[in-house]
Amino acid sequence: MKKETRKIQSLLVANRGEIAIRIMNTARKMDIKTYAIKTSKEPNALYLSHADEIIDFSESLEEISEFLDIERIIEAAKQHKIDAIHPGYGYLAENPYFAQRCDDEKILFIGPSPDAIYKMGNKTIAKQLARKYKVPLLEGSTGNVSSVAEAIKIAREIGYPVILKAAAGGGGRGMRIVEKASQMEKMFRLASNEAQKAFNDPSVFIEKYVRNPRHIEFQVLADQYGNTIHLGERECSIQRKHQKLIEESPSVALTPKLREKMGEAAVAIAKSVRYYSAGTVEFLLDANQNFFFMEMNTRIQVEHPVTEMVTGLDLIEQQIRIAQGEKLEIMQSDVKLKGWAIECRINAEDVQAGFAPNLGIIEKISFPVGKNIRIDTGIQEGSPITPYFDSMVAKLIVYGENRNKAIANMINALEKFRIRGIKTTIPFHKAVMHNKAFQKGDLSTSFIEKELTQLYYQEPDEEMLAACIAALDYAAEVQEQEGSNVDSSLGKDLDPWVLNKRLKSM
Amino acid sequence: MAFGFSSRKEEPLYIAQSATGNNYVIKFDTKGELRVNRKITDLTLSDENGFTYIHYKKAKYPVEILEKHHNKYVILINGVSYTISVETPFSYKRKKRLDQQKTESKTELILAPMPGKIIEVLVEENTIVKEGDSIAILEAMKMQNEIIAHVSGKIKSIHVKAEETVNKDDVIVEIEK
Amino acid sequence: MDINGKIFQEFLARNERYAQQFTREAAKTQHAKGKLTAHERIELLFDPGTFEEIDAFSLSADAGFGKSIKAFGDGVVIGHGKINGRLAFCYAQDFTIMGGSLGSVHARKIQKIQDMALKTGTPLIGLIDSGGARIQEGIASLAGYAGIFYRNVQSSGVIPQISVIMGPAAGGAVYSPAITDFVFMTNKTSYMFVTGPNVVKEVLNEDVTFEDLGGAMIHARKSGVAHFVYEDEENTILGVKRLLSYLPSNNMEDPPFADTEDLGFRREEKLRALIPDDPNKAYDVKDVIKLIVDKGRFFEVAEYFAENVVVGFARLAGHTIGIIANQPKVLAGVLDIDSSDKAARFVRFCDSFNIPLLALEDVPGFLPGLNQEHGGLIRHGAKLLYAFADATVPRVTVILRKSYGGAYCVMNSKNLGGDFNYAWPTAEIAVMGPEGAVAILYKKELAEAKDPKKLKKELATRYREEIANPYIADEKGFIDEVIDPADTRNKLITAFEALRKKHVTPPERKHGNIPL
Repeated sequence: MKKETRKIQSLLVANRGEIAIRIMNTARKMDIKTYAIKTSKEPNALYLSHADEIIDFSESLEEISEFLDIERIIEAAKQHKIDAIHPGYGYLAENPYFAQRCDDEKILFIGPSPDAIYKMGNKTIAKQLARKYKVPLLEGSTGNVSSVAEAIKIAREIGYPVILKAAAGGGGRGMRIVEKASQMEKMFRLASNEAQKAFNDPSVFIEKYVRNPRHIEFQVLADQYGNTIHLGERECSIQRKHQKLIEESPSVALTPKLREKMGEAAVAIAKSVRYYSAGTVEFLLDANQNFFFMEMNTRIQVEHPVTEMVTGLDLIEQQIRIAQGEKLEIMQSDVKLKGWAIECRINAEDVQAGFAPNLGIIEKISFPVGKNIRIDTGIQEGSPITPYFDSMVAKLIVYGENRNKAIANMINALEKFRIRGIKTTIPFHKAVMHNKAFQKGDLSTSFIEKELTQLYYQEPDEEMLAACIAALDYAAEVQEQEGSNVDSSLGKDLDPWVLNKRLKSM
Repeated sequence: MAFGFSSRKEEPLYIAQSATGNNYVIKFDTKGELRVNRKITDLTLSDENGFTYIHYKKAKYPVEILEKHHNKYVILINGVSYTISVETPFSYKRKKRLDQQKTESKTELILAPMPGKIIEVLVEENTIVKEGDSIAILEAMKMQNEIIAHVSGKIKSIHVKAEETVNKDDVIVEIEK
Repeated sequence: MDINGKIFQEFLARNERYAQQFTREAAKTQHAKGKLTAHERIELLFDPGTFEEIDAFSLSADAGFGKSIKAFGDGVVIGHGKINGRLAFCYAQDFTIMGGSLGSVHARKIQKIQDMALKTGTPLIGLIDSGGARIQEGIASLAGYAGIFYRNVQSSGVIPQISVIMGPAAGGAVYSPAITDFVFMTNKTSYMFVTGPNVVKEVLNEDVTFEDLGGAMIHARKSGVAHFVYEDEENTILGVKRLLSYLPSNNMEDPPFADTEDLGFRREEKLRALIPDDPNKAYDVKDVIKLIVDKGRFFEVAEYFAENVVVGFARLAGHTIGIIANQPKVLAGVLDIDSSDKAARFVRFCDSFNIPLLALEDVPGFLPGLNQEHGGLIRHGAKLLYAFADATVPRVTVILRKSYGGAYCVMNSKNLGGDFNYAWPTAEIAVMGPEGAVAILYKKELAEAKDPKKLKKELATRYREEIANPYIADEKGFIDEVIDPADTRNKLITAFEALRKKHVTPPERKHGNIPL
């Protein structure tokens, strides 16, 4: 762990799309020269035009993604004598080996230490640390469960329902809920097999299962001197297949006292690995104000803008400062959450076809504008949506003085968001914003299944108007066939040259 | 000899059927008014900055004709798509009558159009598919070809799996209509 | 003449008896099946008030077995009228009269109208809805068919002939449509087969339904007999009208000009983005077509058959052209037996009727395999080659991407007589594709290489750049110009304009011997 201050003059962004642009915007404000990586799959991507210099990986014939090629990235940074690398989210952001390689080569990694990444990346270690520092946890197995019999024993102790989870990864794969002992054998087999296929490791552990919990996460910020604070919570309960779709800050479920308790727990987790930079501690919150530590994400997250909106902070700037060795200027008592922010992730997916990816080219796009609206996007007109990368079109973040105003502003922004060429999840977001339970704040991770009768919103008279358009177009076509613009007499005026020739050859 | 019958009228009438089963009787009367299910409906279209909008009452919705095949349309309005088929009174009655009769066989076979290797099977048994949905990816001639369902129905059985080589006309899946 | 006198009253009464033949009940029975009557179809097809029926009062011939039914018209309506202001002849079989069966008078009427159409150089449209030959008239019915077929052949290539199947067409009756230029079918209410399900059951003990044996979609998809299928009769007739608007009335005329409100030059930058960078990725060639032609309107022919080639009519600056385009989305756009047949017939039709041809090429070759070779790919592929070479209408080619081997020659290449041959910068013209070529040329190096996959990829890229690039063909004169995709429409408009008075005198012979 370095304790000297070192001003960063140049930064390589090892990522793409909206987050690359986001990072480069802040870097530019801080007078840092930015470098971006060009790939063969999107040589004209928008993020490339935001960089001061482009490093061209597009000649690469490798099968591996350019953003996962550790040695190539390190080599490029060394060659260009770049001070620091920001990994963004995904890709190498939580790869301890990559962070270590940066340290070895004396390149500043904008993130925590390799040790912190490693420890928090391992579910079992993370839980052990939480237990050690008295952070509430979902009871379960200490370590992996090796047999069905052991699983049944533990389940009997902690009480059903329980959930089996893959030790080596998340994202919903290798997970099975078990309601009673008779299901355990089947579910154990299914979970292990899925874990093996997804993560090459069949190990599973067992945990108490909370029904209809809220997903509450705390943003933490820490410097390299041990100063650790939290920046309040984000509620990310609206999920589909464990992918977050809508996030907000703060959460209706937290009283100031609960916020304080959970915040302290988050800070304790961060401190347990001597964390520095920005990170997120995830909890489940049940209906009785009980919270349980789930995991820590040792990187900047997709949904960080909602925290920025209600705290007024630039988290990327904080990350860079911390990496430079600066001391955190903000104290916990300075942190105040003002107003309400909601983020809708607009993806190129067809809601009516079960959120199937909608590939194509963005022909035309018109973003809503306003002082309470923030758009983080990596696309522009002409950008293709390809199967090589995620399907995110834009993050739409909206602010309001209170939650109701934020929702109203979001509805307004969604209505003004226009796009041609692909279908997006906007009708889904409208459905949620108009939903009574959502407006009351009755959220849980099973919100979509429980509360949404229809996954997409239909404005009044939509179908009738669609029917009219079809009929009008068809009627116009029939009209055209009837009253012709075709002048068949013109085909009879033959040039004598042609006529002569035609007659001769008959 | 003079013909007494005429199905062409001065006031064209269409029945727009949506895939959800709703019918809209759309008539253009002699005064040039548009009537939907008998109600006078005042709507206009406008083109602004590359987007087409429909104006109705106080609303302004972006619209697009995504697909058109003869009299079948897929209309995108506010990012939501609607499948509409525009029928005349006669073709509407005809459609109803024909849907009641089932003279075709129940099971449809989807065959491999050429020899190649199945890269991926995209459906499972009992998956409901629509006409036009992808069923599998077949690699041949160094290109990836989508095998498309040309009828709607339920996947009755899958005869291939990934990495398997197939010949032309081998059965890929059976669809129960 | 005294209008109240016997003579005139007799005249009116006779007309009344004719009208009464077409009862409401009969019409209802037809409607109940989702079908229109012959008169209703004619009403839809022709401009109001322009149809003149002739031979309405022809009486059915005497028949054997004592099964004579005398009906005016003998189950078919013939006549002429205007379709969108242009003269056309038509016969419409009437299923409500003796099941539309063909008796000798019925046949004679059809032959009469065929003769008139041929004499006057006017298109002929047949609306077919018939139970087949009238059994009780025996050989007279069969001879009737033969007479119709004879005239179909005499008119072939002289006037456009369109068959619209709107009911059954069985046995010998199917050969008339087969000879005509285009076959329309109405889905679910029309059938075509040589031998019906009953006989199939008797002889082969196989159970097949009408639909499976010869329904509209079977002929659209599998046999290629039907060029157009619509879901109902009104749309079918609308389709016929649309087709006619592209065609001249006879083989001496040029196709009609249409003011499409899109007659001018237009750059389309979207065309540059349509071809994917990865040569193994497909795209829809219809997207290319829609960006080039007037108003993006493309009237596709045989869209469900041999989908690896796309053929159809469109307009460029108001003038009709026939388009033949390989479809990379299906079978990688290769040519095979069915697609060669489909494209060849279309080329022959356009050539007969002075319709210029446009070939959009992206073809990696012919489909390999036992099925194709044993099925006679050699003969069928040669058909398309022959059709292009024999065509004397203006023919222009644009190579969009791949053009390998024999398929390069076949798709209207320069030395096959192509008038203008263009290529996009993405064109790859070579004896064979990069992977195959490299495997042969560098066999030794690849066998010895440490990482053969990587080497192959590098060599393939070099091959594309150095051997297959279109500039070599340009320099050697096999391509007239490598063009910016955005300029395609404009180049084509000027090309066809320059060729408008093209005329080539074919060699003196009765007719060639096209491989069949």
